Amino acid sequence: MAPSHLAFLVLAVPAASAGFIALFLRRQGGLASAVSVLAALAVAAGAGWLSLHGPRFEASREWLRLGGLTVSFGINFDDLAALMLAIVALVGLCVHVFSLGYMRDDEAKARYFGGLSIFMFSMIGIVLADNLFMMFIFWELVGFSSWLLINHWYERPSAAAAAKKAFIVNRVGDFGFLLGIILCYHLRGTVNLTDLAAQASSGAAPFSRAIPLLLFCGAVGKSAQLPLQVWLPDAMEGPSPVSALIHAATMVAAGIYMLCRIQVLMVNPALTVIMWVGTATALYAALCAIVQSDIKRVLAYSTLSQLGYMVAAFGMGTYFQPQADGSYHTASGVSAAMFHLTTHACFKALLFLGAGSVIYGCHHEQDIFKMGGLAGRMKLTFVTFTIGVAAIIGFPFLAGFFSKDAILALAFSSNRAVFALLALTAILTAFYMVRLWKIVFFGATRSEAAAHAHEGGGVLTGPLVVLGALSVVAGWRRFYPAAFAGILNNVPEAEGRAHGIVLGVSLTVLLIGAGAAWAFYGVSGPDALELRAPGLFRALGALQQCFDRCYGWYVAKVQQRLAMALNFLDVIGLSGLVVRGTAGLAGLAGLGVRALHVGRINAYVYWFLGGVALLWLFAAGIL
Amino acid sequence: MLPETLNSYVLLSAVLFGVGFLGVLVRRNTLVIYMCLELMLVASTLALVAFSRFNGTMEGNVFVFFILTVAAAEVAVGLAIVVALFRRTQTVRVDRLDSLKN
Repeated sequence: MAPSHLAFLVLAVPAASAGFIALFLRRQGGLASAVSVLAALAVAAGAGWLSLHGPRFEASREWLRLGGLTVSFGINFDDLAALMLAIVALVGLCVHVFSLGYMRDDEAKARYFGGLSIFMFSMIGIVLADNLFMMFIFWELVGFSSWLLINHWYERPSAAAAAKKAFIVNRVGDFGFLLGIILCYHLRGTVNLTDLAAQASSGAAPFSRAIPLLLFCGAVGKSAQLPLQVWLPDAMEGPSPVSALIHAATMVAAGIYMLCRIQVLMVNPALTVIMWVGTATALYAALCAIVQSDIKRVLAYSTLSQLGYMVAAFGMGTYFQPQADGSYHTASGVSAAMFHLTTHACFKALLFLGAGSVIYGCHHEQDIFKMGGLAGRMKLTFVTFTIGVAAIIGFPFLAGFFSKDAILALAFSSNRAVFALLALTAILTAFYMVRLWKIVFFGATRSEAAAHAHEGGGVLTGPLVVLGALSVVAGWRRFYPAAFAGILNNVPEAEGRAHGIVLGVSLTVLLIGAGAAWAFYGVSGPDALELRAPGLFRALGALQQCFDRCYGWYVAKVQQRLAMALNFLDVIGLSGLVVRGTAGLAGLAGLGVRALHVGRINAYVYWFLGGVALLWLFAAGIL
Repeated sequence: MLPETLNSYVLLSAVLFGVGFLGVLVRRNTLVIYMCLELMLVASTLALVAFSRFNGTMEGNVFVFFILTVAAAEVAVGLAIVVALFRRTQTVRVDRLDSLKN
């Protein structure tokens, strides 16, 4: 089978699964889950073969032609797509298997698994897309899948509101994205990624600052950067596997992936903006994570922070350098961002699935101050969660250590201020993750639910083990298949003295952050920060809420008033005057004509006389 | 006395036509309306004959037969309708035949 056909199958199988579930298996949850998991398995097998053994290719077919604009449906399978596809397929499979156990007793299992399949289809579409239009279509589909899955328990008003918020905030970013695509088409004449790369290497087209910044708006929305990060913490209303797949490993990484795809369009001013947005997001999210008491919210802010790292890494990357032979050298920023994306996908999915296992074990209790002492009760979850925590805080030789070091090395050589801020964020990361780890797993159990905690079974712990193993090895680039060399060959590494400094800094921040958290937080009682520094606690809480409050004020005061004014115009003006007015005029005309038909013969004769008189006037030339 | 010219005959015809038309407008009995219709027809016939006499041709005179035939056929059909109406509504007064009024 030709590789392009296999890639198309990998794209189509989840769509077929979703369609089949939606049409025929609405009430059969068990069957639907089996169909979806089999589809995920097929996708993983196909994606694995394609990424590791298959050739790199491009294939495209014209889909729509509107005058001079041609929208084509194509697959651009280069090393970047291969890496991303492998990540999506593998994490997707783990989440599918985990969901079998986690959603065991749920009533709407069929809808859930249909949503998972649609999500896999949409995400693979983004990965494989070869032009910006197609990417945008699948981008929107991913937003829809996210809405569907966050909204899974839609009877809860908070879940419904969170899903709406996620979709609307994403739309705001997508507006910028669409403007960027249109501008790109207008200025460059094409939205095909390979054509854009060819244009850039031949130096033919003018460089514009607006295009990359507008396209970055899409990443700001999808990857939840400042100021559009407000949707991600609320998106934790969805089930934990959904959070693991969508809001940790894959969908939010789509923004980073898109940035890497459009690296040929980047110019230095845009890269500077991107770097600062990423850094600000990383620091802001780390500050907010310290005061959260819901286990999933801590992980959500942690995701925001790590995404900020990736975006900052991309922004610091060397400017895209076209080579003489027409190919281009992957910028070091792209390599660093993708490397961190890979390791982050592994350990963040692990952390979320571990949190799901904990929540399942505690009978759907999510407040960490009602857990505690789970180390003894849920041993496998404890071990894998510990691996995940160690990976994210940069424990030596685990996955996060290498990727975070790469980003810090890049920052050290590009921009010392960013380096300092990212190092500070690393301290905070270690601080809040160890806080979470200690409060959830150590000490005495704080509630009834935690006292009866138990492992969820092989289906829940299997994926944890797989992802735990990956979190350990994902940082060892020597073991990566040569297939991904195209992307990962330019991961920045500090040389000489800088190497020592960066290594030293990363180990120091790890020790400071972890040590401080271990010493500061006790295993019993309420949040120690709240107890000893209530002012700081409240300030951090206000920091977290300020964005939501601003948006709430804007929507209530500005947008709502504008909407009411437009509504008035619509009801009174359009419906009233124009629509009902014309109807009224027609009615008047009808009334007038009805006077002719009174039913009395005398009246008819009078009308007849009138007509005769009119005719005579015409004939006599008077009228 | 009126002079014996064409004008006086046409005037007579016009007056008869006017009277007939007024009758159709104003009278309430269907049969009387029919009689006024006949009056209008006769008036137009008179005008035609007068033109024929004063121009010395025969066409106007021939027209009389046509008009009278048409009048007879029309009266036959019309009276049949009036009889049917009377059987249904028991009246021939036009102002009572208003079932088409809403």
